[in-house]
Amino acid sequence: MASQSSGSGSAFTRRGFIGVAGGMAAATLLAACSPSGGSGGGGGGGGGGGTIKFWNMPWGNTEFNKLDEEITKAYKPEDGLGAATYQVIQWANFTQTFSSAVASNTGPAVSSGGGTQAFQFEAQGKIAYADDLLESWKENGLYDDFLPGLLDTMKVEKGYAAVPYNLDMRVLWYNTTLLEKAGISAPPTDWQGYMDACEALKKNNVYGYGTGAGAGAFTGTHALVSWMINNGGGLFDEDQKPNCVTPENIEAMDFVLEMVSKGYVDPASATYTSANVDSQWEARTFGMGYNTGGLANNVGGDVGAELQVMSPLKSPSGKQGALFFPNSIMMYTNTPSQEASEAFLTYYYQNMTPLWTEGTGIGLPPLKSITETEEFQADPTNVKIITEWQPVARTWAAPGGDALFFDVTAVDGTPAMDTFSQSILGGNTDSKTALTALQSAIEGALA
Amino acid sequence: MATSTITNRIEKARKGVGVSGQGAPDQGRKKKKGISARAWTLFAFAFPSLFLLVLLNLYPVIYAGIQSVRDGDLIDPGNFVGLKNYTDVLTQPSFWTATRFTIIFTIVGVFGSWLIGLALALLLRTRVPAGGLFKVLLLLPWVVPVVVSATSWNWLVATPQSPLPMLANALGLGNVLFLADPVLAQVTVCVFKVWVSFPFMMMMMASALAAVDVNVYEAAKMDGATNWQSFSHITMPMISRSTYISWILMTIFCVNDFPTIFLLTGGGPVDATTSLVVLSYRTVFQNFQTGPGVAIAFVMTLVLVIVSVVLYRQIRKVNIE
Repeated sequence: MASQSSGSGSAFTRRGFIGVAGGMAAATLLAACSPSGGSGGGGGGGGGGGTIKFWNMPWGNTEFNKLDEEITKAYKPEDGLGAATYQVIQWANFTQTFSSAVASNTGPAVSSGGGTQAFQFEAQGKIAYADDLLESWKENGLYDDFLPGLLDTMKVEKGYAAVPYNLDMRVLWYNTTLLEKAGISAPPTDWQGYMDACEALKKNNVYGYGTGAGAGAFTGTHALVSWMINNGGGLFDEDQKPNCVTPENIEAMDFVLEMVSKGYVDPASATYTSANVDSQWEARTFGMGYNTGGLANNVGGDVGAELQVMSPLKSPSGKQGALFFPNSIMMYTNTPSQEASEAFLTYYYQNMTPLWTEGTGIGLPPLKSITETEEFQADPTNVKIITEWQPVARTWAAPGGDALFFDVTAVDGTPAMDTFSQSILGGNTDSKTALTALQSAIEGALA
Repeated sequence: MATSTITNRIEKARKGVGVSGQGAPDQGRKKKKGISARAWTLFAFAFPSLFLLVLLNLYPVIYAGIQSVRDGDLIDPGNFVGLKNYTDVLTQPSFWTATRFTIIFTIVGVFGSWLIGLALALLLRTRVPAGGLFKVLLLLPWVVPVVVSATSWNWLVATPQSPLPMLANALGLGNVLFLADPVLAQVTVCVFKVWVSFPFMMMMMASALAAVDVNVYEAAKMDGATNWQSFSHITMPMISRSTYISWILMTIFCVNDFPTIFLLTGGGPVDATTSLVVLSYRTVFQNFQTGPGVAIAFVMTLVLVIVSVVLYRQIRKVNIE
């Protein structure tokens, strides 16, 4: 009777094993059903225990998130309002990360994210509008500190979906040394001048329109839309409906196709990744082209020092302009307290200046006061972009407007745009055909 | 009498009755007994795995099935639309373009990697100097993370300054666009897949070859069989079971392969290398259309099941033979 085992000599009986296994299974089931999975962060509510979950992206170099976390953790909320917790969300699969978290009510109370993310979640009723927050900022000076027209880009039908955070500009770069070698004394100022410069560069085996539209390289698409906007075109009309096949867009794409046919564009551009594009700038095979405001830093070295931003070109229509992305910070309805979310954001915007003055590599600032700092003014490239490009830059909503809306998600990094860009850069199409195909692809995605 | 005894014995044997006269346990009696303690124990052993299997696989599959008949997105499940997503998907040209490339990619991936894997397995069966080192080196493409492989291949072929385009230029072939030309991009992606996959095939074939008795070859040699006859009449039939299994596995790997294609070309240029799984990903996560995207995945699964069943039947046929 001392042991239930049947001669095995083990004290671990079958009944005992089944009991342990059953217990473990029950514990697993209970753990799986618990709201937070034991993370300590609480379940829904954008942060249990009243804390505000702030999720931010790696907007700059490795120093960015360190400093950003310091700023966040230094937040001292007023009595009754929750403190803030900080979480870095990597760009890899960020759409899935946010979507699953928001859908399961375990997402943040406040976050940055993709350029069109706020409008995607606003359409799902997951965004807390920033109208009251912006109204309160009229009293503390923050509201008037935003660069002109910037806040309007966030306004949707029911209110402000988000608050502008950093600006991602598409600007034209040129290599000073290569232009000089080609006998070009000054960078071009209009489309004909650009074409002439391309011809001169080609004699030295340099491509005048450096671009790339391969895996994950969306800048090539952004550049094509920038040419359209430069010519007074764009993808959406005043009613926020896709309207791609316009005379302005056709003329702009004719211009690009002419560059392709004349050999001013690297024939492998259609599948260049961002790294390939940077390597071509580094190899001095690209002499001019659209890129982000951080190209010179990305390329670095001797070549980086040779790169300069040119002034916006004047198109045949007499217009100027390019595409830009007002990246934003948004508040979610899933928050322990809307008042706490707003209090944290007020603190954050009043204290975020070091992110730009301490060289963290984040895009351009949304506030005039930051652009006026000594540190910002010390960088002539950034100053040129803010003073010359930002005033003429337009969003995806151009030419119909500047306020973003849900349907722009159909053109931001989508298969329709990739296919369009690759067909143009491949050169085996004409403008009208390519734009018509783009129009129907966007309509199909929105159907 | 003797005939009758033999017939009875055969009949008994068919019924599972042994020489001692004790037959198989009485089926009716067993049924009455109910579930035995042994069965409970086995169930207890299997339960954790079954539970996790159901939790981790069945639930998502059912949820995905529901999504495929709704018009929702990543957050909102949307409304029930019946089979509309399936009919929409099956009438889209992009689906059939992706299907065509998936078939090409799979055929080249399966048979390309199998041929190279088999050839190397046969080679390594002979005495090769530093054979062990060779085996380790040959496994590298399979062992190295595909992100690293894709980056390496991009470096190898993407720009005019990359080694392969420079080689092609030196050979007088001009500026060869390995990734920018739609046909060459398809070829490059397929070759990349073969390069990544042949070590797996090599291991499968090497283990199958190891099981073939050397005496059979010696007997065939004594009978005057040539090397080719030994290979075609002994080696191939005797490794056919492993071959079919490796084909099934590689077919599944190829049809479901996302990173190899997406990291190298992103599905371009102009959708030339967009496979069904890439199309499904882009539909769900870039166009935010979960219904059609999941419908594509289900169609893929159905085709894979059919292919697997056909090949499994072939394996059973081989076993019987």
